[in-house]
Amino acid sequence: MFSKLTRGSVIALAIGMGTAATAQETLSMWARTDVENFLPQVVAAFNATHETQINVQFIPPGELVQKFATAAAGGSAPDILSLDLIYTPAFAAAGQLADLTDLAQALPYFDHLSPAHLQAGSYDGRIYGLPFSADSSVLLWNKDLYAQAGLDPEVGPTDWDKILEQATAVRALGGDIYGYYFSGACAGCNAFTFLPYIWAQGSDIVSEDGTKANIDTPEARAAVELYRSLLAADAIPQGAETDTGTNFFSAFASGNIGIATSGAFAIGILNSQYGEMNYGVTYIPGPDGTPSSFGGGDNFVVTAGTENMEAVGQFIDHIYSVEMQTLMAEFGSLPVRGDVAEQALTGLDARYGVATDAMAQGRTPSTVVYNDIYNSATGPWLQFLQEAIYGDDVDEAAAIAQETIQMILDEAN
Amino acid sequence: MARRPNPVAASSYHLAGITLSLAFLAPLAWAFLSSLKPAAEARQPPLPPWPTTGVTVENYITLDGYGAGFWSHASNSLIVTLSTVVLTVIISVLAGYGFSRFRFPFKGVFFIMILSTIMIPFQSILTPLFLILSKAGLQNSLAGLVMIYVTLQLPFSIFMMRNAFDAVPIEIEEAARVDGASVLTVLIRVMMPLVAPGIITVAIFAFLAAWNEFLAALIFLTDQDKYTLPVLIVAVRSGRYGSIDWGSVQAGVTVMMIPCVILFLLLQRYYVRGLTAGAVK
Amino acid sequence: MSATDPSAAAPRPARAPAVRSGRRRGSQRRREIAGLLFILPAMALVVTFFLIPLCMTVWMSFHNWPLMGAPRWTGLDNYAAMMKDRRFWNAMNFTVWYSIVATIAIFGVAFPLALFVERTGRATSFYRTAIFLPVVVGFGSASLLWAWLMNVDSGLFSPAAQALGLTERPVNLMATTDGVFWSIIVMVVWKTAGFTMILLMTGLQSVPHDILEAARIDGASRFQQFWRIKLPLMKRTLALALILSVAGSMLAFDQFYIISNGGPRNSTLTAVYWIFSQSFVSFKLGYGAALSMVLLVILVVISLVQLWLLRSPTGDK
Repeated sequence: MFSKLTRGSVIALAIGMGTAATAQETLSMWARTDVENFLPQVVAAFNATHETQINVQFIPPGELVQKFATAAAGGSAPDILSLDLIYTPAFAAAGQLADLTDLAQALPYFDHLSPAHLQAGSYDGRIYGLPFSADSSVLLWNKDLYAQAGLDPEVGPTDWDKILEQATAVRALGGDIYGYYFSGACAGCNAFTFLPYIWAQGSDIVSEDGTKANIDTPEARAAVELYRSLLAADAIPQGAETDTGTNFFSAFASGNIGIATSGAFAIGILNSQYGEMNYGVTYIPGPDGTPSSFGGGDNFVVTAGTENMEAVGQFIDHIYSVEMQTLMAEFGSLPVRGDVAEQALTGLDARYGVATDAMAQGRTPSTVVYNDIYNSATGPWLQFLQEAIYGDDVDEAAAIAQETIQMILDEAN
Repeated sequence: MARRPNPVAASSYHLAGITLSLAFLAPLAWAFLSSLKPAAEARQPPLPPWPTTGVTVENYITLDGYGAGFWSHASNSLIVTLSTVVLTVIISVLAGYGFSRFRFPFKGVFFIMILSTIMIPFQSILTPLFLILSKAGLQNSLAGLVMIYVTLQLPFSIFMMRNAFDAVPIEIEEAARVDGASVLTVLIRVMMPLVAPGIITVAIFAFLAAWNEFLAALIFLTDQDKYTLPVLIVAVRSGRYGSIDWGSVQAGVTVMMIPCVILFLLLQRYYVRGLTAGAVK
Repeated sequence: MSATDPSAAAPRPARAPAVRSGRRRGSQRRREIAGLLFILPAMALVVTFFLIPLCMTVWMSFHNWPLMGAPRWTGLDNYAAMMKDRRFWNAMNFTVWYSIVATIAIFGVAFPLALFVERTGRATSFYRTAIFLPVVVGFGSASLLWAWLMNVDSGLFSPAAQALGLTERPVNLMATTDGVFWSIIVMVVWKTAGFTMILLMTGLQSVPHDILEAARIDGASRFQQFWRIKLPLMKRTLALALILSVAGSMLAFDQFYIISNGGPRNSTLTAVYWIFSQSFVSFKLGYGAALSMVLLVILVVISLVQLWLLRSPTGDK
């Protein structure tokens, strides 16, 4: 194992780096750029009132796993991370995360912490990740465009026929205005927003016990068919096909899109940076209207071997305080502490209600090969979507995806 | 080879030459001009290429807001690049001199061993390199990156330097040694000035390679504060709040290009010489 | 017999130490040690950062070697898995196809350019510099630049085509394999043609003038001079430029990682990209090493072909 070497090189690095790792005074923290909307405020509030200072770095979401794994193996990992919760099992399994079980169970409000996060944050009966930020996938619709297109601006799409119908109506406004948007080349965005279309039909692309691939199904094809018919109706802009996630949010924020799949995070950014935007939030529906959502967000994790656990404890108390839960909610992260959720959301935009509901019912895939199957830009999930939605042969795309996912699962089990 | 002066042929030759030059320079100019546009204009297609709503350095200021700030990444790049240049020059001068002027066991084997590294792509030994750097505590450090860049430059540089020393007549050295100078003094005082053009060639190649390298920097640097410019700008390109700031990307591209272009224009003679020396061998 | 070869001009002194041989034995021994000391730093680097990693690659390819945790010997399992790895072989096929097309395209552009800039004169030297300039810009910068030019909304190609009336709607170049592929080919030609041009130009210029003069007197046309005399005489330069181009293309990574992310639909994944992705994104270092072995063998074969093509001509013409 690496541990001894790791420790040695941590010390070597601490000497070499000087500022970043002078162990006791500073905690280094990494987070994906998605949380850049609120994390700086949370950290600034902490630094202002504590002796230990936290130094945050933001990493593009597509690079975070690679960077953290490489850094951990090389002994230069940060002390703490806000880590996409779906990755917690993989890193816990690899022995890179500190066991937080005792620390967690000592929290007076432990029973009120988001169960989805804790479940994803547990491995082998121990807790390695604590809920930090929460985000559920939802649909957004642009009320102004709905009004212009002669649709009822107060009622968003409630089932697949309505999505198609309303998107087509908005597209009929012509020019740069399109009916529907998704980031066609972004693996993670589509796990977050496209999987719910499959889940809403009672299916999933991996069997419940995590051993069988299950993507070559009528349900997956039906969801693909929804997007194909949106394309056939010319309701999706050209750029969507190759959007690697860079326009995941900004496409809708530009005001030229009728309906877009998105997340609770968008509410925070829209309200704080696009005040004039007139939009609604609703659930991602199934063909018959059954709602579904991806319960996502970040877990708070600590790198194995971090010494300043006292400061870590202080930071945990800090993030679960009512003030911080409220501040994070304001900027688009749903409360993760159930007992103060209502308090944190009071006075905030009512649209958060939909997102909070969605979170409560949300699903979160839990697998150590999450990255290989879903999130990797070269993985089978994205390849399937691109081939099935934009290609000619859905059958072949499904068959290849089925085979590749099975191969990855077999290797992992 | 006297050509018969033919005004039509001459002017069509220059017309073609100017067109070609413009075609090859256009993308560079396009990036530079776009970097001077205000952010909102830089998001629009670059037609016309020059700024129409005022010239500004706004994008360069925004660029400074990414990562640990522009200067800190630029100085990472500079540190890595200059260290690579200096080390490459020192090591290849020593080795080139050794291979040119001394006889020792296995000389041929060693020389071929160093040259043969050019045949094997470093991309195929990335993983073990990563493990070695980790164990040496050099992963995520600029020093580790420098070691790799220097190693990659060695085959070409040693080859260049050996040829350069070979071209110096032995008598000059003999004369100096008769005067009682030590081996190192001879090398530094007498030989170095004579092989200076070779050293410049080696230095330019090392500079361009280190300044522009992307893959190793992407893998071996994990701490954002340590990113070199190429890694930083690629991160800028991946956007913020779900949108790309193309103006800053162009500013970054411009900043990365400028040192290379200036260096080349100043020292182009040596660059081309190095290229042809390698080519004709 | 080339004029620019310095070793041809001066006899290799190290091999003719006649002056010194009469001196004391000890002095010779000291010089041996001095020689070894001179090459020591270089050898140390090459051994540490090249030879050892090379051996480790072979060793690792027989292991299940996670990025974190303990490696486990698995024999030939990685190689067996590789045989079934559809994405790897697709990437390999794509890389070979890309190398062939890129090389043909680069030569197709660089050869006429070399003939064009072969003459002397201030203007020509300016053209030469202008065409060469993209070479000194890194692949990273060039790729970022191109990623922007290819962007459907903020870039140049699609809006320009629309403005010129060539296309009716915006064309998303990134959406189709062909769009990505040919755009990158154009980028690579733009970026590297200058390099090949200079190499070929050197080759052309190294053809001795008296031979050409003789041919002219014998009444050979310009085309015949080129085809019958220049081309055969610059065979070695040609081979070198060819090999550099093929080997460089086989190792392509930056442009595909930055511009297309291997997309659309993984259709522009290159071999190095797939190795990177398996090793550092999926954390299968052992498997990545096995894939590297394939790449390595291919490049060594290319290098051997190079040595064979560049071997000393058996009879001087």
